[in-house]
Amino acid sequence: MISTMADHVVAIAQDMFTAMVDGESGALTDRAGEAAVLTEPVHAWVDIDGERPLRTLVATGRGTADRIARALLAMGPQDPVEQDDVRDALGEIANVIGGNVKGLLPERSALSLPVVTFDGREPAGALVWTRSLEWHHEPLVVSMWDVPLKREEQL
Amino acid sequence: MSLRVIVADDSKVMRQIVIRTLRQAGYGDWEVTEATNGAEALELALAQRPDLVLSDWNMPEMTGIDLLRRLNASGADIPLGFITSEGSPQMRELAESEGALFLIAKPFTPDSFRSTIDPFLA
Repeated sequence: MISTMADHVVAIAQDMFTAMVDGESGALTDRAGEAAVLTEPVHAWVDIDGERPLRTLVATGRGTADRIARALLAMGPQDPVEQDDVRDALGEIANVIGGNVKGLLPERSALSLPVVTFDGREPAGALVWTRSLEWHHEPLVVSMWDVPLKREEQL
Repeated sequence: MSLRVIVADDSKVMRQIVIRTLRQAGYGDWEVTEATNGAEALELALAQRPDLVLSDWNMPEMTGIDLLRRLNASGADIPLGFITSEGSPQMRELAESEGALFLIAKPFTPDSFRSTIDPFLA
């Protein structure tokens, strides 16, 4: 069940990167080996408030987050990118993944607006599963969490 | 056919992607106005009377479904289509029951824009 959901979510992430980030498939792949160490980690997540409150979280390093933002905004590889644009871009990645996860759940639920942090803070919660991926050979982690409390209580 | 369109999404990144995808889908001659939430889209729509509103669902200030309800209540005959990450059967059913023209799920492609939007332009 867990691996099935994780496989679904990874497939959603790959579809999103193919359609909206890269314009071609194959850039977001499973990462073999030890868990990735993220440099200047950026965390982006949305909560799915339903019978079993869940959170989908995307984490990557700041350099990779900047590249993703440039790709989504159709900017050049060396163009300066504002932190607000990185926040927006990573938030949308989390939002699209979370919205599709919500569609996989049988019961009615509500999707939160995305939250993005740049200070390395991971939100509280119990890890359900995590998948180590890489985008253009840079680490990117997608995970799902149980959310026992309201988000405001966890930060 | 050139249309006047409002694209409503709280994400600047997503508004740009939607506009870029419209262009790639062959709607490059559409005149697009951007709105950052449902409330702003409602104000713009009632003032400008566009041919179409393309709206996200989950936005601060006013959600897309509330925007649709407010447009309907105003009596303005302004069609609205959703572009949202939430494409579940329940959301599609709710969108349809409230009178939405269509619902395009994110992630989308120029092809999915064309196959969804073209039938309504005929």
